[in-house]
Amino acid sequence: MTMPISAANPNPRHRARELGRFALRHQGWLILLIILGLAAVASPTRDGTIVFLQPANLLNIVRFASVNGIIAIGMTMVILIGGIDLSVGAVMALGAVVVAKGLMQLGLDTVPAVALTLAVTGSVGLVNGWVTTRFNLQSFITTLAMLSVARGIASLLAGGYAIPLAFGDRVDAAPASFKAIFAGTIDFLGLELPTSMFFFIGVGIVATLLLNQTGFGRHVYAIGGNKTAARLSGVNVKRVTILVFGACSLLAGLASLLHAGLVSQGSHVDGVGYELNAIAAVVIGGTLLSGGVGTIVGTMIGAVILSILDNILGLNNISSEFQLILKGVIIVLAVAIQRQQSSNRSE
Amino acid sequence: MLEFRSVGKSFPGVQALHDFTLTIETGTVRGLVGENGAGKSTLGKVLAGVYADYEGEMLFDGKALGFRSPRDAQRAGITLIHQELQLIPELTIAENIFLGREPHGKLGRLDRRTMERESRSYLERLHLDIPPRRAIKNLRVGEQQLVEIAKALSLDARLLIFDEPTAALNETEIAHLFHVIRALRAADHTIIYISHKLGEIFEITDDVTVLRDGELVETRPTADWTERGLIDKMVGRSLTDLYPKTEITLGATVVEADGLSLESPGIGRRGLKDVSFIVRSGEIIGIAGLLGAGRTELLETLYGVYPASRVSGRITIDDDSGRYGAPADAIAAGLALVTEDRKNLSLVMTSSVAHNITLAALGDFMTAGVIHGKLERAAVQRSIDDLRIKTPSAESNVSTLSGGNQQKVVLAKCLLTKPRVLLLDEPTRGIDVGAKAEIYTLIGQVAADGAAVVIASSELLEMLAICDRILVLSDGELVEEFTQAEATEEKIMEAATRAHRSRPVAAVQ
Repeated sequence: MTMPISAANPNPRHRARELGRFALRHQGWLILLIILGLAAVASPTRDGTIVFLQPANLLNIVRFASVNGIIAIGMTMVILIGGIDLSVGAVMALGAVVVAKGLMQLGLDTVPAVALTLAVTGSVGLVNGWVTTRFNLQSFITTLAMLSVARGIASLLAGGYAIPLAFGDRVDAAPASFKAIFAGTIDFLGLELPTSMFFFIGVGIVATLLLNQTGFGRHVYAIGGNKTAARLSGVNVKRVTILVFGACSLLAGLASLLHAGLVSQGSHVDGVGYELNAIAAVVIGGTLLSGGVGTIVGTMIGAVILSILDNILGLNNISSEFQLILKGVIIVLAVAIQRQQSSNRSE
Repeated sequence: MLEFRSVGKSFPGVQALHDFTLTIETGTVRGLVGENGAGKSTLGKVLAGVYADYEGEMLFDGKALGFRSPRDAQRAGITLIHQELQLIPELTIAENIFLGREPHGKLGRLDRRTMERESRSYLERLHLDIPPRRAIKNLRVGEQQLVEIAKALSLDARLLIFDEPTAALNETEIAHLFHVIRALRAADHTIIYISHKLGEIFEITDDVTVLRDGELVETRPTADWTERGLIDKMVGRSLTDLYPKTEITLGATVVEADGLSLESPGIGRRGLKDVSFIVRSGEIIGIAGLLGAGRTELLETLYGVYPASRVSGRITIDDDSGRYGAPADAIAAGLALVTEDRKNLSLVMTSSVAHNITLAALGDFMTAGVIHGKLERAAVQRSIDDLRIKTPSAESNVSTLSGGNQQKVVLAKCLLTKPRVLLLDEPTRGIDVGAKAEIYTLIGQVAADGAAVVIASSELLEMLAICDRILVLSDGELVEEFTQAEATEEKIMEAATRAHRSRPVAAVQ
């Protein structure tokens, strides 16, 4: 008797492995779908409708995901080169204070105030990168120090108080254009979509193109995968590192503009714990903490997942303290799963 | 008596040892020879408990061996003397010998006196006249090795495995080691002696077993072997087939190094002293020397790896004089380096084959920083075809490739920069015989296309076959230069160890 042989019919173990690989590659989307389903089920209902699925609630999720997601995109690049940036929350506070002070106390118009904010925050990142490469320090240390420095400067600038943003036609009011750009909405097919969402998606597209289509992006992955090999292949490791830290802080600055517009103030205590949110989004998105492997799309999904989690816990009146604890657990779990997968892969 | 019965060991993608059956009589010295990757060291490590997950079984004096760790093996009387020594440099000789089983006196105090007395007796058995209180870091490599043997004796070792024990020894030290090995044999110890150096194999062993590609080829008493016969068995074909040397007409001088010196880049790393040489277009130069003689440092200095403040002298490439402060400058000047350690120094293991191949030459595929995907893919495919890199696809992760194919990826990356000067450090380490021949053919083509090639290698046979000239380094100095016609393995080894013999007592590394 002969066995029928068919190329289209590989053995079941092989097929299971293919399926596993497929799941691994798209794990971000899978988790997102699962979380969405769970959230809809766990959501409280009002007048027979599911609160979670209300358009207003979904837009809230998007708004929060956008601010965190923009920071997380910068964090992704830093983690891709094998670093970490703990100063993003503090830089965001610094940015929020600078823009509020610029608009309210220095009487700047929207464009110069925004330019000033981005210049200040971007420079902070360049300093992070320069100190890290010049003195060969771990970015963990450099940015932890910068966390303290940036928040200190923010507090000095703000005089210890939050600077409220008042919009309107009064002489001492902030220009309405600022609010329209950073905290406004755009009518899209009958939906009032927040502008922050467009910033989020725009930054995501630019960062994806940068990482995938340019020499700079290739160098980022190479440095994270093997810094020595990158250097010996002619990559200017210092320059790329400094630019990546600069970009990360610049994006924290952009997030600070969105945040200030949203809450109508700039305060030196803004963005506390945001570095953790960003790191959580990055690792949930599948980027390896050791560097060299990861995508922007993964991080964007990670940011949305986190936002949904926060939202559903809030809807169920679960305290924010519990949310913090849960976030810590999720980060450790995500990294532990990564470890497991990468050790399986290397076998 | 030691017996291997169908012993096998595989690593991901490689069958390092396959169905290996062999018997070694007690009180004899058995030589194991074979090319790199033939499975000699793997065999030693399986026997010494380094790898617990092997197939088949091993019996020592009729008892089945089954070790979970090197410690288990040592307790059973089997010790491996590694290529890299396993002593703790900061501790004394006595402390190293008794590490982990220190004798204690009353109240749990360390009994130094007993430790030192017993250590001294072991050292005396090895004719080593050194106080046991001396720290290991103050000993020469040869002395450190004898301390390892003393440690094995103190553990009552019955079987000692030497893996390339003479790689860093001078002739006096080698003679001393052989004296010790003969004494051990006379005391009914069993010795397995793994070496590349056929002269030593003929001198010290009773029987020789040849391995190739993880399999046993043949065992004969040493007296029945000839050197030629041994080599042919090791490579499985005659050497001239394996390392084809094409005749190339030499062109103008491409590289001129003049008085190149390098401050020692760190502890245990060799500096360079006043090294001068030239390489012409189409020429293949070999750099020989003992471990730590400065071979790698010479290539790295040319390539701009070290900060300019540590380097003096002049490097001229095609009339363009300069020293390179960073590899990026060196690449721009037309140099390319295939590093010794491809996993840690050359490849980005997290990236694809394609991205590794184009990493050093990305500038050729970009306009205003944006990569032209089509151009890049075409170049990658050409490299994969030209070098016959076996990979499922260009997008496959480079870590999934075999050692030989990974090395071809490194070579492809270097060649894509169209180098005027190709530097190669141990280009055939840890790859199989077939891939070796292919890599040497490629190197020949690069030279034929007019590049200057510099190879640093510890594989003398390979260098003798393909190099036009061989420069010998010793302690960071250029001590001798041979043309291909003049060079022999003996002359090169003699030159490489000459400085050591004239110097009384100095740390070898």
